[in-house]
Amino acid sequence: MLKYIFSLTLGCVSFVGTAQVKDTAKVVYPERYGLRLGVDLHRLARTFYETDYRGLELVGDYRLTRRFYIAGELGNEDKTVDDDRLNFTTKGTYFKAGFDYNSFENWLDMENMIYVGMRYGVSSFSQTLNSYKIYDPTNYYGETVITSGEKFNGLTASWIEVIGGIKAELFNNLYLGFSLRLNYLVSDKKPANFDNLYIPGFNRTYDGKFGAGLNYTVSYFIPIYKKNKPIAEKK
Amino acid sequence: MKKIVFITLSLLLAVSFWNCEKDDICAEGTPTTPRVIIEFYDATATTTLKNVTSLGVIEPTFATGFAFTAVSKIQVPLRTNATTTTLNFIQNGSDTDTSNDNIDAITFNYATSDVYISRACGYKTLFYLDPTTPVSLTADSNNWIQNIVVTQPDIENENEVHVKIYF
Repeated sequence: MLKYIFSLTLGCVSFVGTAQVKDTAKVVYPERYGLRLGVDLHRLARTFYETDYRGLELVGDYRLTRRFYIAGELGNEDKTVDDDRLNFTTKGTYFKAGFDYNSFENWLDMENMIYVGMRYGVSSFSQTLNSYKIYDPTNYYGETVITSGEKFNGLTASWIEVIGGIKAELFNNLYLGFSLRLNYLVSDKKPANFDNLYIPGFNRTYDGKFGAGLNYTVSYFIPIYKKNKPIAEKK
Repeated sequence: MKKIVFITLSLLLAVSFWNCEKDDICAEGTPTTPRVIIEFYDATATTTLKNVTSLGVIEPTFATGFAFTAVSKIQVPLRTNATTTTLNFIQNGSDTDTSNDNIDAITFNYATSDVYISRACGYKTLFYLDPTTPVSLTADSNNWIQNIVVTQPDIENENEVHVKIYF
């Protein structure tokens, strides 16, 4: 038994040994810089399978340095929320701008991304209060449902997003991406005698200032120029 | 850097769960639609609170109502979808003996205002008693209620007494 462990250990050591043998031939891969444009598939899909949702988000980023990308999203959403006590429709447009930082060290000439990023988002929208229920704890006269239809125009909101995500090159210049977003509401103009329970781009609001979102993008990379990857000095 | 990505992703996930159902239930203790607070006073000694022995309060067409025994302060709901509410105040009405009942009908006249509370609670209705005829007692041959005084015509919460009844 001990013999086996010994030979196994030896095997492992020999593996480590071979792994440490370096290929000294240096190949320089040029890195491509350019503009990547795409669309959010998640919002597109929901437009088809959710009857009370219609949304479109265009995404784009521009590679500024080796690791930093200027990035942004432009979108439009129309969502009707049917809650237990409220039914309302939110319509509006949003724009987010910020940066992505690619933390992934690519092999060879691959151009994938595991990134973190930040955005500042602004939205201009309207809320229509379709109907609401009166909360009467005694409920002696039965529940009162009021059909309102009141529309609140000219509402705005702004927020900060912290993003984590990946982008992978599927085919030549075609990328598939996924990102999760944690939102923090900075400001919002609330309608009189109602609240912003949904904000286009920010998604559902909660009691606090936090929210969350995601997108699932397909995008196309337009190369503009090439720059060689700086060769690491160490070893 | 990969650690940062991992931490960010798990943080996002954690926040999304922790946020989930927090505000989906209307919390108890939230000020919602207020009831009218009525206090009973002695008709002869008008500053003295007087307990009702067994009062029944019921909407004239309803089968069930509210029973109050040995209290001087009661709460009754108003209609949120109308501007008048008539309630029968039945002296000795909450006991089983119906022969001693004395029914007095009181009508509340008011304006309503719906105020937003939250996603989970929806709206509440506040009542503003009519300045000319806020509360009227239907006169009959044998009224047990002697006088009604409105002390707070704006029924916005249940913290103060809105109506005083002397009997």
